[in-house]
Amino acid sequence: MNSSFLDRLLRNWLTLRKPLSRWQALGLGMSCVLLCLAGWWFVTLGAYESRIVGPLTLPSPAETFGKFSELWNDFALTRNILVTLRRVSIGFALALAVGVPIGVAAGCFPRLHAFLSPLIMLGRNVPLAAVLPLMIFIFGAGEKNKVMFIFVAAVAFVISDAARAIMDVSARYIDTAYTLGASRWQTISKVLVPLAAPTIFSACRQMFGLAFGYIMLAESIKIADEVGGLGYQIQIFQRRGFREHIYLIILVIPVVALVIDQMLAWIQRQLFPHVYGGDGMLRALVRITLIPWEHLKSLLFYRRLAAPAAATEERPK
Amino acid sequence: MSQPAVASSAHETTAALASGAASAPRSSMATVITGELTPPRSPNLLRPHVVEFRNVTKTYNAGKAEEFTAIRDVSFVVEDVADKGEFVCVLGPSGCGKSTILRSIAGLEPQHPATAGDVLVLGQPVVGPGSDRGMVFQDYTSFDHRTVLENVTFGLECQHLPRKQRDELGREWIQKMGLNVDTDAHKYPHELSGGMRQRVAIARTLILKPRIILMDEPFGALDPLTRLNMQDLLVKLWKEVQATVFFITHSIEEAVFLGDRVYLMSNSPGTILEELKIEPATCPAHEMQRQPKFLEAVYYIRDKITTLESNP
Ligand SMILES: Nc1ncnc2c1ncn2[C@@H]1O[C@H](COP(=O)(O)OP(=O)(O)OP(=O)(O)O)[C@@H](O)[C@H]1O
Ligand SMILES: [Mg+2]
Repeated sequence: MNSSFLDRLLRNWLTLRKPLSRWQALGLGMSCVLLCLAGWWFVTLGAYESRIVGPLTLPSPAETFGKFSELWNDFALTRNILVTLRRVSIGFALALAVGVPIGVAAGCFPRLHAFLSPLIMLGRNVPLAAVLPLMIFIFGAGEKNKVMFIFVAAVAFVISDAARAIMDVSARYIDTAYTLGASRWQTISKVLVPLAAPTIFSACRQMFGLAFGYIMLAESIKIADEVGGLGYQIQIFQRRGFREHIYLIILVIPVVALVIDQMLAWIQRQLFPHVYGGDGMLRALVRITLIPWEHLKSLLFYRRLAAPAAATEERPK
Repeated sequence: MSQPAVASSAHETTAALASGAASAPRSSMATVITGELTPPRSPNLLRPHVVEFRNVTKTYNAGKAEEFTAIRDVSFVVEDVADKGEFVCVLGPSGCGKSTILRSIAGLEPQHPATAGDVLVLGQPVVGPGSDRGMVFQDYTSFDHRTVLENVTFGLECQHLPRKQRDELGREWIQKMGLNVDTDAHKYPHELSGGMRQRVAIARTLILKPRIILMDEPFGALDPLTRLNMQDLLVKLWKEVQATVFFITHSIEEAVFLGDRVYLMSNSPGTILEELKIEPATCPAHEMQRQPKFLEAVYYIRDKITTLESNP
């Protein structure tokens, strides 16, 4: 009995790509968290002098979490999170608004891609540490430089990822669309973009996580008085020597990132049911909102095209 | 037991062949009637040839080190037969240029434009792809982000046909293709079997009522039974839409069953070696393909291919 349990355990852990249930996954993740907490608790056990790791390096869990209400109330944690999120969202949205159309165009037209490639190359390799002061010179203190920093950091990656996703759509879909009478624009809008969209979306989802890290960097530079944001808070705590607060923020950031990522994952699932299964609520919503637009197009264009379509019907028998 | 039966019917086939193109169809079963290439007649101005190849040569990567001539000097004519389109099957070894010919008719790159010669459709040179020449590909090319209904109505959507009308037509065609309107119409392609996907691909092409349907080994990946069902369905629908069909296949049985005419192609650079006329099929594929005369026609073509291969 004992050995059969061991067998099963080994089989579960060592089988390649063995699927597991949602609860199992959650349980395993939680046990890792608990293990880390236990380790933390153990190395910071006892009086200050007798600890394995000194209190100046690592405060104990109790000390750290004890400061939470102070962080929440006195240092306005939620407000700072929202300030940071707003900056990164606006900057990233700008990068998407500019980068996705350019990237799609570059993916569709190789000549445009070749033309833009030096700029994309530059944008992908630009040293962010140098961009930050530049942004401050150009946009001054305040919100703009941070938003633009995120924009500059992300836009070249968005362009190249969107272009790659379009180029990776198999040519046979273009052939099929053309033989079904689609125009070039229809092939782009009805075939290439929708087929590339899941890839573009997941690339951007990952990039958003990175951008969330970059914004801390931008916020840690204080030029005006009231900057706010998580990065700025860390800076303040560092100057005052509030270790507990810094550790708390370090723990809060992944939680916020996880929540955002899960939201994006939900949007992704609902937008692309053909990739992720499910009922595709958002996709249905998008299609419904597009119906009036479609009616308008039918009204505008169909009359003109009705003649050749009818001619095909009346073909001599 | 079966030995004499085969021998005697072989005799009959040979007799039918010997009497040439003039011989009237003697039975309703498939028989190879002629082995002559139709000489391209001057086109009637009112009825231009549906498809005409005039000395078409296609060289891929012309001028580069990896230059390769896939087809050389291919000429043939498919006439516009009154009352019905013709069903042309193309047989030939792998790599002989069958897809090249088909894709030149479709006007798809890089096969289009041809390196030399003219590709004419209804008397006009092909300038690019269009919905008058529908194409069904061997590998599944369903649009993964569209449901079955949205796939089937794609071409109508491109013509800006109002949604209600196109959905109605789409449902009708889904039904015609033997799919279930209620359960299948809103499935995504990844939820379908290979056979169902090809049904969708065929429906999406036929719904546009193309003048020419180009099919590149559409049933190549299907199991034999599904394949027979699809052949029957195709014959039925083809009669309904009255289009000229170009059908590439590796299966001689399929070519004999479906084709009014079979082109035999040779290898690199590809040319059309023989053109055979076949009597139309009269009964479902699984019955038809058991009949001795059908098998005779198949063996005849198989022998022909063997001789053509051995002494070019
Ligand atoms: N885009 C291309 N570039 C270069 N060579 C090509 C290209 N397409 C086809 N060829 C070559 O041309 C020849 C004919 O190709 P084609 O696809 O027409 O053959 P096929 O008769 O359809 O073969 P199969 O039965 O295997 O599909 C092949 O030798 C192939 O290698
Ligand atoms: Mg081929």
